[in-house]
Parts: sequence; C-alpha cells; structure tokens
Amino acid sequence: MITIALAKGRMQDDALALLARAGVRLDEEARNSRRLALSDESGKYRFVFVKPADVPVYVEHGIADCGVVGRDVLLESQADLLLPLDLGIARCRIVVAAADAEIMTKSLGMLRVATKYSQIARAHFGARGIPVEIIQLSGSVELAPALGLADLIVDLVETGRTLRENGLTVVEEITRSTGRLVVNRASYQLKSEAINELVQALEAALNGGRQA
Amino acid sequence: MVTGIATTAVAGCDRVPSADEPINQAQRRFETRCRNQTAAGFLFTFARAIPMTARIPAGMRYYIGAEARLRRTIEDTAMSVFAAWSFEEVITPSVDYYDLFEQGMGQTEAQRGFRFTDNDGRLLALRPDVTSSVARMAATLLSERPRPLRFCYAAPVFRQQTQSHAEWRRENTQLGCELIGVGGHDADLEVLRLAAEILARLDLQANYCITINNVEIFNGVAASLSLPATAREQLRRLIDTRETAELQRFLAEYPESEARAFLQPTQLTGKREVLDAARKAIANERSAAALDSLERLWTALESLGLADCFEIDLSDVSSLDYYTGLSLKVFVRGAGTSVGRGGRYDGLTGNFGRPEPAVGFVLNLDALTEVLARRTRNDS
Repeated sequence: MITIALAKGRMQDDALALLARAGVRLDEEARNSRRLALSDESGKYRFVFVKPADVPVYVEHGIADCGVVGRDVLLESQADLLLPLDLGIARCRIVVAAADAEIMTKSLGMLRVATKYSQIARAHFGARGIPVEIIQLSGSVELAPALGLADLIVDLVETGRTLRENGLTVVEEITRSTGRLVVNRASYQLKSEAINELVQALEAALNGGRQA
Repeated sequence: MVTGIATTAVAGCDRVPSADEPINQAQRRFETRCRNQTAAGFLFTFARAIPMTARIPAGMRYYIGAEARLRRTIEDTAMSVFAAWSFEEVITPSVDYYDLFEQGMGQTEAQRGFRFTDNDGRLLALRPDVTSSVARMAATLLSERPRPLRFCYAAPVFRQQTQSHAEWRRENTQLGCELIGVGGHDADLEVLRLAAEILARLDLQANYCITINNVEIFNGVAASLSLPATAREQLRRLIDTRETAELQRFLAEYPESEARAFLQPTQLTGKREVLDAARKAIANERSAAALDSLERLWTALESLGLADCFEIDLSDVSSLDYYTGLSLKVFVRGAGTSVGRGGRYDGLTGNFGRPEPAVGFVLNLDALTEVLARRTRNDS
C-alpha cells in the first residue's frame, strides 16, 4: 500500500481531481467524511490529509510515501525529497509587494519584510545583497505594510486581488509555484514498482489533459 | 532564579524504569511528567520551571533495557562479520583537529561538526566522521605497512543538524569499514558483499535494497558539456531530486548532447536495463569506462545471486565531490531515510600525503536499531 499525503485547502480538490483522472479514486462517501485518513477504491492507496507545511515532514520521515504539495511550501521547508512531477495545479507566484513600488530602489537602509515564507525571503534578499529584517507572520500578511509593521511583504499571489484591495503592488516576482508530486527517497527504492505506476499514471493524466 | 527548586524537580523522577519495560512507555511517562511540570511552572509564575539538568539537548538520546541490548546485538553482529572478512578494529580519537575533517570530508560537511578550541587556540572538533581519521592513519602512522589495509569500527559521530527534519539526530554510531590500498573491481565487490552479508545476518533479507552507481558516469557527461561550476551543480541537483520538468527545460539548451541520458530521471533506477539505456546516449570515454565498471560489478552480483537486493541508480549523484568511482546507499524497509552509504574515495588519502585507492561504507547503528526495535514490537 502506498500512503499519499495531501495538502488540505487550496490544492486539495485539484489534486483529488487529477488523481481521479489517473485512476486513483476516492468514493463519494469517503470524500464527504471528516476522517483524515482514507483508502481509495482499489485499496492500493491510502490518503492522509494534513496541513500543507506538514506534507514535506510526513514524506521526509517516510510515514507517507508520496505527497502532493506546492513548490512554495517545499522551498520553505528545505526537506530532502524527490520531486518527479510538476502537476501544474494551484498555479501561483511568490512575489515581493509594497505600497510604494519603488521602495527598494529608494531605500538603502534596513527594510522590514513581513512574510509567512521567511526562508524564501531571506534567500531572495540575501542573494541580492539587500539587508532586511524578516518578520515572521502566519497569515493576513497584506495588513502589515498598512499598519506600519513592515515596508515589504513576500507572499503568494494568485489573482492579485487581495494585494490591490489592500493598496499593495507587486515589486518583483521571486518565483512561480505549482503543485508537485513529492516522493520519499527510501520508498522510491523499496516500493519502486508501485511508485512508478503512480508516477506514470499521473504523467499520462497530465499529458491527456494537455491534449484535450 | 529557581536553582533551589531545581533539585526537587529532579528528585521527582520517582520510578526507575525496569529493564524490560518497553522503552517508549518509559519515555512517554517521562515526557508527561515534563509537561506537567511545565504547566505547573506557568501556574506558579515560573517558580517550578524544568531544571536544565532534566532536559536532553536536541538530537541526543538514551538507550535503556531491551533497546540497549538490541543495539549491542546489532553492533556485535556487524563487527563479527567485519572480523570474518579480516577487517581489524580501529578506535580513533573522539576529538581531533578541525583541519583534519575539513580535508577529509570537505568544508560543507566538516562545518557541521561541533567545534571548540584547544588550549593553544587551534580549532578542534568532536569527530563528525571516522573515515578522515582512518585515512590519515593509513597515510602517516601505517605508511610502511603492506597493503591492503582493512579496518572496521563502531564509533559515535557528532554532527549539527539544522536542515533536514528526518535526520535530526546529532549523535549517531557508525558501523563502518575501510579497505585501503587496493583499487578496482574486486575491492568494490568485497565491500558490497560485506554490506549485504551484515544486512542478511540482521534478518533484513528481502527488506533491504542497496543502490549502486559510479559517479564518473555523471562527471564524464558534465565534462563533455563543459558546464561552468554553477550550471553543473544545478544539473546535479535536478538529477538528484529527479525534477523531470525542470531538468528537461535545463537540457533543452543541450539538445544533441549526451545529457539526453538523464532526460527521464525516474527511469535511471533499476537493474541491468538501466545500463543498456544509458549506453545508447553516452559515448564519452570517461563515462563509458564507468559504465563498464558498473556493469562488471552488476554481473558479479548477479552471479552471486544478490541481484534482488541491489539496484543500479544512475541518479544517485548526491556527493560527487567526495566519491571518485563506486557510490552506494543502503535502504531498509521501515526507515524513511537511507541507513548507510559509502563508495570509493581514491582522492582522500592523497590529502594526507600518500595517494592510494580506498573504498568503504558506513551503516547507521541508531537507524538500524530503530527499525529492528519497531519490528520486534510489532511482532510481539
């Protein structure tokens, strides 16, 4: 049996739809239940639903063999995992945003950056040699500049609407993120047949989707 | 602030766990007690905070009772197999000059060591590996001894862990061996058989997998592309994590090159067919020689009836700077990360003034103990 950790929330429905196209189906009753661990119809796969940031943790420890999670979360966690497939779901950008789009060129002092993604932010500004003070938040990051907590934010953007409505504009894009299939290194060797079957089924589903 | 109360809290450890009590139960009781004390600490405005001496630093642990005995048995089993293959035990210093490890492991790995200064101000380290020390010994103290040298050890190593979540322990005992002064196929095969025999003797037959690769396959291809260092590192990383889409984008710039061999990183793992597929794309001399050597090794493993326990993994390019030929990783069902690794490092002893071929591997005693202890619990 292969255990798949799925990120709850934003990505969950897209991931389940893609898995269904690849022949891995959860029945209606299971999907509507509130249980956090479920088996698929064939009994070959078990799903566990966890918070996005916990997906890399479960997979790296080998408690789950595979997982589906956004690249944003993976960059932040720096877990040692295999990333064989880009599933193309939950597309979004990780950007630097501010009320004043020119703040980075104007300011030579220490900038304060509010974010949920402290690792990504630190790496991004570090690589460019811009001194910043990172303020770790766990949500509603867009508020921080308006209230004076930070000069900049680093956050996920899908449509840009939340940014606009909070008076922020995108200063620059750090990277793009999509949902990824991640695989534990040991499972990849010890359950290679079953994992390859899943990877190939998902690949076929992705290619089929592109042609249609 | 609360040192006076500290002792009473330690004395609160009322029961000593009996030897046969399941370890996790004892630990759980201890943890519950700690939690209760923390809660109490908050209630009495920190008056009963946990004393420093009750806490264990992150990544360190105790072994008690049945688990300690199991650990000892595993160690004895491995050491007896090493001895049967004429490997002599070596005990190396626990503390050594930091420079030794930097030369022996490379800067990135050595920096994970716990460092402190000697009386004269020189930097020391608690050994983060044993191989460096054995290589120096072979090149200096034992430079006159006839080759080959065969050494084995069971020794704790200490590494700071900041990045990885799954390999969080900072003290691990390595069961390892080094075969120094002899190169080529026979020496490589010897250590592979040795690793397989230890795992079989630990009743892990059919539950383990040793992956083998030859790093010169990748190195030859990278050289034929004449990649700058950063691009080479990027290619290495993409193959290592098998990021198919990014890898294909990267290689689109080199359409007719031998790097085609790595286009499908999920198909680089398997048995003999992996080598045949790689040969179709790779022609440079350096890689071809490495493919030949890997194939010879594979043929030998097949004829020994070991092919079921081994896999070829051309995408294992995790430590290219260290290994010079064969590289291997050991996986065991029930462990989320590899429980052992090794390979050929012909460049290492040269750092200590006497270049000669060397090959070896280590198994992680703590990881093996955890797997086997869990299995014993599930069986009973």
